[in-house]
Amino acid sequence: MTSTATAKPPVTAAWRDPGRWADRAAAVGLVVLLIVFQLLDPGFLAIGNIRSMLLASAILVVLSIGQAFVVATGGIDLSVASTMTFAAALFGFGFARGWGLPLCCVVALVGGTAVGLVSGVLIGHGRITDFVVTLGALSAASGAALVIADGKPVTVVDAGLLRLSAGGIGPIGWSVVVAAVLAVVAHVVLFRTRVGTHVLAAGGNPEAAVATGISVARIKVLVYAASGLLAGIAAILLISRVGAAEPASNTSFLLNSVAAVVLGGVSLAGGRGGIAGPVLGALLLTVLANGLTMLGVSPFYQPLAVGVVVVAAAFLTRWRR
Amino acid sequence: MQIRRRALVATALAAGAAVALTACGSGGDGGSAAPATVAAVIKGLDNPFFQAMEKGITDESAVAGVRSTVQAATSITDTTGQADKLTGLAGQDFGCYVVNPISGTNLVQGLAQLAAAGKPVVNIDSPVDPAAAQAAGVQLATYIGTDNVAAGKLAAEQMSKALPGGGPVAVVGGIPGDVTSGARIEGFKAGLPGGVTVLQEVAANWERQEALTQATTIIGAHPDVKGFFAANDDMGLGIARAVANAGKTGQIAVISVDGNPDALTAVANGELAATVAQYPYVIGQMGVDACAAAASGATLPAKVDAPVQVVTKDNAQQAIESAPKPPAPYDNPFTAK
Repeated sequence: MTSTATAKPPVTAAWRDPGRWADRAAAVGLVVLLIVFQLLDPGFLAIGNIRSMLLASAILVVLSIGQAFVVATGGIDLSVASTMTFAAALFGFGFARGWGLPLCCVVALVGGTAVGLVSGVLIGHGRITDFVVTLGALSAASGAALVIADGKPVTVVDAGLLRLSAGGIGPIGWSVVVAAVLAVVAHVVLFRTRVGTHVLAAGGNPEAAVATGISVARIKVLVYAASGLLAGIAAILLISRVGAAEPASNTSFLLNSVAAVVLGGVSLAGGRGGIAGPVLGALLLTVLANGLTMLGVSPFYQPLAVGVVVVAAAFLTRWRR
Repeated sequence: MQIRRRALVATALAAGAAVALTACGSGGDGGSAAPATVAAVIKGLDNPFFQAMEKGITDESAVAGVRSTVQAATSITDTTGQADKLTGLAGQDFGCYVVNPISGTNLVQGLAQLAAAGKPVVNIDSPVDPAAAQAAGVQLATYIGTDNVAAGKLAAEQMSKALPGGGPVAVVGGIPGDVTSGARIEGFKAGLPGGVTVLQEVAANWERQEALTQATTIIGAHPDVKGFFAANDDMGLGIARAVANAGKTGQIAVISVDGNPDALTAVANGELAATVAQYPYVIGQMGVDACAAAASGATLPAKVDAPVQVVTKDNAQQAIESAPKPPAPYDNPFTAK
């Protein structure tokens, strides 16, 4: 390898280049947090705690993947969390009537996708702003969830779902495996397929994308439907995790999914971004909450800390090229 | 469509109430003392707690032969919508008003209207801020609610019974800074005996998933934790799940507050050690009873504690069967002869 000598200067240059750091805000923040918490509490990186942090992050990771696709087209999906609630309510509706697990899952997935499809069609073909449509969907889906569930939680006890939440490959839980597989698939779709290229093109410069023959409307329908489908998957993970389908609002998932995507370096203006960043962003938010609890930090300080970290990471993107 | 259906339901209810009224009129079931009509404004019906409260109000009205209407906020944060509902009802001629305000002050405008009209107002569940009541010039007939500090103390007593050897316990609260959560935790801490110590306090936003996550972290960080106190049942069920995941069901005692149906079942199954049950159904009933007592000219106590009862494995079955009413007898000063 004769190139080693010549390759070295760019590496050091990369270290000094703030743009590189900015692109990896989530990764840098995650590593810093892991080191700080490990120094403060030697039990932090114990295998048991890593396992529980990964399990706790799975739902947020799945939602953040959907959010990343939407944000990459220059949109925003404010309805992810309530779509998940809606899908969970549909699941509970079926379960209470003895439909059996596979059918309940299908109903949840179809329900989530349907919400996304409607939003996508209104945005893409109806030419209504993303923010307004998904704000409407946020309210409509949570209301529909309350109507379907009649405001009451449904206890879901099922051996299969229990395995999904408790079992896994070694220390890695099944829900984490599901989230990881979805992340890999999403990465491949975004960077290795024509659809992925079109998603980034539609977000980067919609007029140019249309001029080159890309249907931006169709891309919008696609990303919102994907976000809805992922919300449906997240609903199943949520039900398996808590053992109940609840029409609760779950608003923290919405805010955290947007924060994860921003931390992950996806431009809110669209056109640039990836999947690894938002996934790391979601992990970072979970690690932060876990570490603060481990250290026994008062609950009053926790939201404050989350806010500071999100804004600090967003600040890094100032130097992005 | 929605509005038309609601109108239809209202008509049907009114018709039903009228039938009940005539039926009771002939039976003479304490009908003479009751006010002709009761209007109630409560919190969001998206929560089973307030659904039970609504049922308590309508059931008791039917028994007492009172025509009642119950209006609810659309959600727990809908302070202005709730205020609009009360001002709307205040313009109609009801004999007595039952209010459960979202915040201490959000209903002040409607209350002022009621005070000017000289209508009796019964405050249930969440108290009207005394300063706001004074500003509105309203003299509340009585206040009926759960004493959350006492509920926390009952949970602490139960915790000390569950942990005869003492040990560290963790406390899981609702939204940080929430008054109800704070009162329950305050009562719990004050009621703990010497041997049981509070290891840590966390907030889980009243959510089951969040409580599961926090409890998993705590069990991992402190394997010696012996118990959890949760400020509501939903969080208690999440913690019970975390304890089960850790394979420690029965070794870690989880106690929560509310007594909702899922929690009662979990107590019967041994997943929860106990729940301190409150009875929104009874709070609703007592609200209507207080209106009847006020109409008959009786002097009402300023403050009435709604029943709170500890449900453990021993009486869980009984509690499930008697729901939404408490398994054990309780005092109702408004119907005492």
